Amino acid sequence: METDVLIIGAGPAGLAAAFEAGSRGLDVVMIDESSRLGGQLSQQTQMVSMLPSQYPPMKGFELAKLLINQLHDFPVKILLNHPFIGLYQDGSIGVSDGKNVFPISAKKVIVTTGAAERAIPFLKWTMPGVMTIGAAQTLVNRDFVVPGKKAVIFGSSDFALDVAIQLKQVGVEIEGIIEESTKLTAQNMDKINLIKQASIPIYLNSFIKEVGGNGQVEEVYVQQDQEVKTFHADLVCVDGGRKPITEVFYQLDCSFSYQEKLGGWIPQYNERLQSSQEGVYLGGNAAGISFHGSILLTGIIAGISVCEDLGVLEADEANSLRDSLFKEIKIIESKQDDHLWLERMTHIENFLHPKLKNQFIS
Amino acid sequence: MHIKNHPILGERLHDPVTIYFNGKPLQAYKQQTIAAALIANGVKKFGESRKLMQARGLFCSRGRCCSCYMTVNGEDHVKTCMKMVEDEMVVIPNIGDPDVRGDSHGN
Ligand code: FES
Repeated sequence: METDVLIIGAGPAGLAAAFEAGSRGLDVVMIDESSRLGGQLSQQTQMVSMLPSQYPPMKGFELAKLLINQLHDFPVKILLNHPFIGLYQDGSIGVSDGKNVFPISAKKVIVTTGAAERAIPFLKWTMPGVMTIGAAQTLVNRDFVVPGKKAVIFGSSDFALDVAIQLKQVGVEIEGIIEESTKLTAQNMDKINLIKQASIPIYLNSFIKEVGGNGQVEEVYVQQDQEVKTFHADLVCVDGGRKPITEVFYQLDCSFSYQEKLGGWIPQYNERLQSSQEGVYLGGNAAGISFHGSILLTGIIAGISVCEDLGVLEADEANSLRDSLFKEIKIIESKQDDHLWLERMTHIENFLHPKLKNQFIS
Repeated sequence: MHIKNHPILGERLHDPVTIYFNGKPLQAYKQQTIAAALIANGVKKFGESRKLMQARGLFCSRGRCCSCYMTVNGEDHVKTCMKMVEDEMVVIPNIGDPDVRGDSHGN
């Protein structure tokens, strides 16, 4: 298969990039390992915060629908259930259709592989019944399945509170939100108030010591001060934050540098969202953990840069578009967390001085 | 338990199918992954770890952690959180490693 642009990952950043390239007449192929478009956005029934200014407020799955619908009229070929497998010697990308692996050769590649949740280990954390907070949301909003009867939630980010409410709405009793620090890590007061209104107990200065059960979780032991409290629960949802998914970049031999706030080791890129490999661009959480707004905007920037490099967009126009998109990212990121924006800028400056390069030559 | 009427998304579960877990028929819906359908039927333990024989089940539901591997229609190591159910699917817990290289290779 041949195409102008191959997009790896069909979440919000990938969809936004596909629109930029597709609407300017480039042939686009988009692959994703899952069975539907929209990435994690598709199962988010909460309102999305921090969207770029041109978007009205909406829920995650509504935004996914909007991004998908805007591709309809353009030459975008979508291959779901098609994971990236590796790289052929001639530079084409190996993709699996579940039975065979075949090559896609593209003039440009945009990698928007998103983020994965982190685990927080405690004794027996691998026991069935322990899952990431996102997994619990997936069961409820993608698969329409109640993940358990009584849940303990470990961690208290805005996302964890969203999911706690969503679990409660489908009949899961929330036995408690366990937070290691002295206050909730969530920043959104509306969400915190919802938790309080729902009478969900919050345990600060506490952590899960161990879970117990015969083949699946039946009890959760929570350390609080000098005391260990036993909860009877069959579900533990772990809110460990997110880290960028980077395997594809390793395989494509992109250089990396470390940015704590953006999620640790992430592929390097310049202000065009172009990686150290000339034909490879990136966007979304793969370019650093951030808010929905930046996820979309970085995807758009990557799409614009590809259009410029393939000659369907003038350099002047591309530059001014990128300028204004970066201004929006700055507004979104510095409103929430000054360090995030500053680290993104540092990361871009570091582009010329890669820390980890050619590390995977075999 | 299946969510028949989702508080925000409404009714989404159509197309009931039957899958077999350890020979036992279970009801599922085409809109679900294998892992989710099992959980809806009260099955949480999907297999056992190779060395310590510890129970394993769904963890990430994103195809990342491989904790949900099972044998599906005779195929070993299927990530059940990523694969949708199909009627008459036969699902068996993951007990140890598949014989990838084969006895004949001296392994
Ligand atoms: S639960 Fe992690 S890969 Fe399926």
